[in-house]
Amino acid sequence: MQKTSRRDFLKWTGMAAAATAAAGSGWISRVQAQQGVGPVDPSWHVLNRLTWGPTPADFDRIADMGIEGYIDWQLAPEFIPDPVVDEWLSKYPYLNGSAEDVYRATDRSDYVYTLVPWQRIYRAVYSERQLFERMVEFWTDHFNVPVGDLMGEKVVDDRVVIRQHALGNFRDMLLASAQSPAMLYYLNNAESVAEHPNENYAREVMELHTLGVDGGYTEDDVKAVARALTGFTVRSSADGEAFYFDISVHDQEPKEMLGHQLPGGRGIEDGLQVLDILATHPSTARFIATKLVRRFVSDNPPPSLIESAAGVFLTTSGDIRQTMRHILTSAEFMSSAYMKFRRPIDFMVAMLRALKPGLSFGDRPWLVWSLEDLGQLPWSWSPPNGYPDAAVAWMNTSGLLNRWNMALNFPYASDGWYEDIQLDLNAIVPQVRTADQLVSAAAAAVLGSPVRLTDQDRQALAAFVTDEGNPTLPLTEDIRNDKLPTLLGLLIASPQFQWT
Amino acid sequence: MQMATTRRNLLRSLGHAGVAGVSSALFPSWMPKLVFSPRYQNNAPGQRDVLVAIFQRGGMDGLNAVIPFGEGSLYYDRRPGIAIPEPDGSEMAALDLDGYFGLHPSMKPLMDVWDAGSLAFIHGAGSPHPTRSHFDAMEYMERGTPGDRSTSAGWINRHLLSASWQNESPFRAVGIGAMVQGSLRGASNALALQSIVDFHLQGREDQISAVSSVISSLYNIDAPADMLSTQATEVFDTVNMLSQFESRDYQPANGANYPDHDFGQGLRQIAQLIKADVGLEVAAIDIGGWDTHESQGGVGGYFGYLAGNLAQGLAAFYTDMRDYMPGITVVTMSEFGRRLEENASGGTDHGHGNVMMVMGGGASSGVYGRWVGLSNDVLDEGDLAVTTDYRDVLSEILTKRLGNDSLDEIFPGYQPVMLDIFQSR
Repeated sequence: MQKTSRRDFLKWTGMAAAATAAAGSGWISRVQAQQGVGPVDPSWHVLNRLTWGPTPADFDRIADMGIEGYIDWQLAPEFIPDPVVDEWLSKYPYLNGSAEDVYRATDRSDYVYTLVPWQRIYRAVYSERQLFERMVEFWTDHFNVPVGDLMGEKVVDDRVVIRQHALGNFRDMLLASAQSPAMLYYLNNAESVAEHPNENYAREVMELHTLGVDGGYTEDDVKAVARALTGFTVRSSADGEAFYFDISVHDQEPKEMLGHQLPGGRGIEDGLQVLDILATHPSTARFIATKLVRRFVSDNPPPSLIESAAGVFLTTSGDIRQTMRHILTSAEFMSSAYMKFRRPIDFMVAMLRALKPGLSFGDRPWLVWSLEDLGQLPWSWSPPNGYPDAAVAWMNTSGLLNRWNMALNFPYASDGWYEDIQLDLNAIVPQVRTADQLVSAAAAAVLGSPVRLTDQDRQALAAFVTDEGNPTLPLTEDIRNDKLPTLLGLLIASPQFQWT
Repeated sequence: MQMATTRRNLLRSLGHAGVAGVSSALFPSWMPKLVFSPRYQNNAPGQRDVLVAIFQRGGMDGLNAVIPFGEGSLYYDRRPGIAIPEPDGSEMAALDLDGYFGLHPSMKPLMDVWDAGSLAFIHGAGSPHPTRSHFDAMEYMERGTPGDRSTSAGWINRHLLSASWQNESPFRAVGIGAMVQGSLRGASNALALQSIVDFHLQGREDQISAVSSVISSLYNIDAPADMLSTQATEVFDTVNMLSQFESRDYQPANGANYPDHDFGQGLRQIAQLIKADVGLEVAAIDIGGWDTHESQGGVGGYFGYLAGNLAQGLAAFYTDMRDYMPGITVVTMSEFGRRLEENASGGTDHGHGNVMMVMGGGASSGVYGRWVGLSNDVLDEGDLAVTTDYRDVLSEILTKRLGNDSLDEIFPGYQPVMLDIFQSR
């Protein structure tokens, strides 16, 4: 796919309606059938996917910069100032410190155990580098390390592996991960020695991090890679924990993996060569492209886009930024509106971005526990494959009911239900005259625009506001105040809000 | 299907009207009878067992759960740090089952079930597909079609679809947890249930009824046109039914004490649903943490802790459900077993053959399967060979206990061999 012009964007988004009906979001076909609403607004689609939930400020920016300008701006996070997050992080120096700093902090306060998942949420909500934070989420799943008893190591891993390379070079990220104490401990390579190699990391680095399970390796390759990586371990010293290559436990016999001969008598070169072979293998390009397209485009990734994105990945030697630019400016991307079901953390962060609460970290991190109920506590997925991506894993009775309950409760932060959350609903929903107007204004705040409601939706919501009365009569201040929080909750609970 | 819609609509309208006080005669036959009938009533007039399918995520070390101590040095020499000693009558050694195999001592709570004749082990069981990948092995096992991803549903879901009877209860198939297990996924909807007590709409009391009708409208649940609306419909049906019984008062029978972990509490909820007679046919529940690459321990330690959790949960369920056991089959599986030889970290890497466990009134105690031993010539890449396809065990459950003979639809292309673990109902 080549660069996309503005006009092409519009043409392709026109295709979105038909494709989306097939994807199963029934409400959008109803909206479009009824209102003759044409193509999905391409700016809305781009913001839905690049951000964690579009805000009015995002609309202003994309209107200003144009769609491609916005994409390029978000692809260069190093040039985007992020003062709110920087200031918040400066209050917790250990988040920018060593594993030992984190553990010392946990000795002083139990809050650290909730602060660490909380910082993931906070950054997603407030960072100006929205696409970067989405990439961080993607790679956090890809190189999954659950905190368990590795909280300190994972804080470091997040900084020096995930965030350092999230839009950088894949080979660099893989090498960093292979030498990250968090990963070395989690997948047991730290204890793997020549006499009895531990195959855990060797298998997962091929299956989950690079080639993919159908990427063409054998059980013999797993064993050879495990032997090649013996000696990749961790050493603790006065300066803290660090990667260390221990030649004394390294298997120095010759090995063969994926058709490559690794000569005997070598040291760390064995592992580095293996990682290099894996990072640059065509199966890896295809595997990473498939996962990126699944995350950013559709649960059923279009083969054409996988193919072309894998091509960019290969020819740029694993340049993640170029690969993402290709995906985000592709026709397939532009015609994929409303094909992605929000995962629980996407749902929660989008709600927070829509309502713009003032969030401080008190002693009741309600949001962290809510996310745990929803099944996606950050950094807590225990198998090595990361939280599932596709809707089929998340779209179920329990998950849906939990979302509704969260949506119905959260806006009552405006009544002081949660001591560490301040919320001013009047700041996001302007004063209007009638119930109909209130529904439209609330829909604009939550769904970006009232056009995303069907007539049936509007009537039901207005009937709620007026207790089945006339929605065109003036609303009293009391009724507005009484009904607005739940009205917003209903919009957040709506099917419209669950899809991007 | 026509019937289904009608019943659902009836239920929904009852739900909106508030069901309290309505006489039981108005309820469809599968409505909860808890409040009306203290005694168990088989949910299925065709006399079928309720199936409880347990998945041990991570790959359980079957060789240390049901220990082949009769293999002598072939077992002990390969596991110098983690082997479980031969039975000596103490709790620091394997518990003798049949003179050749012994149970991990942490699983002692299950010895009562074994002695009662209702606990069977199938050793050398597993999937014939050679993969040692967790995710592939789990997917294949839960689809029921090793090596083939083209099947559109999990094996339990195909069972429900192909059964000669249908059952419109939203509780027909329940997955305990935040996600529905792969075996349950497919066209026949399965309920994801974390907590019976919490399964209701929250928010302001004075608005619950209005909120519920707005959400019903937003999701168009009268004519669900997509998967999300279908799930929404299920939520309302389930909320309405659960509002019928006060689950906080649940008292397990016979002094059963469910352990406090997720698995134990999940089994407790399954027991509640079975007793409430809400139409439950299949429940799936997971117990994770079995990927013991390091420091798995022997008699004590991490593996013993996990095995103990499993056994305590199952024993509590058995105690609580003693009167119901003639109509219950519990089966365990795990994506693969673990390497015979222990690794450098005092753990075991991914293996192949494993042990499955079956508990229920229809089973006969014993160690089943074709045991070929642990000598090098019969190992599969260093692992216990799979000599019993796990589908053999499931096929026998399906035909003898669940009353479904459509094995060609559940396990297409597979010819099962029955092990005669079960009596027919």
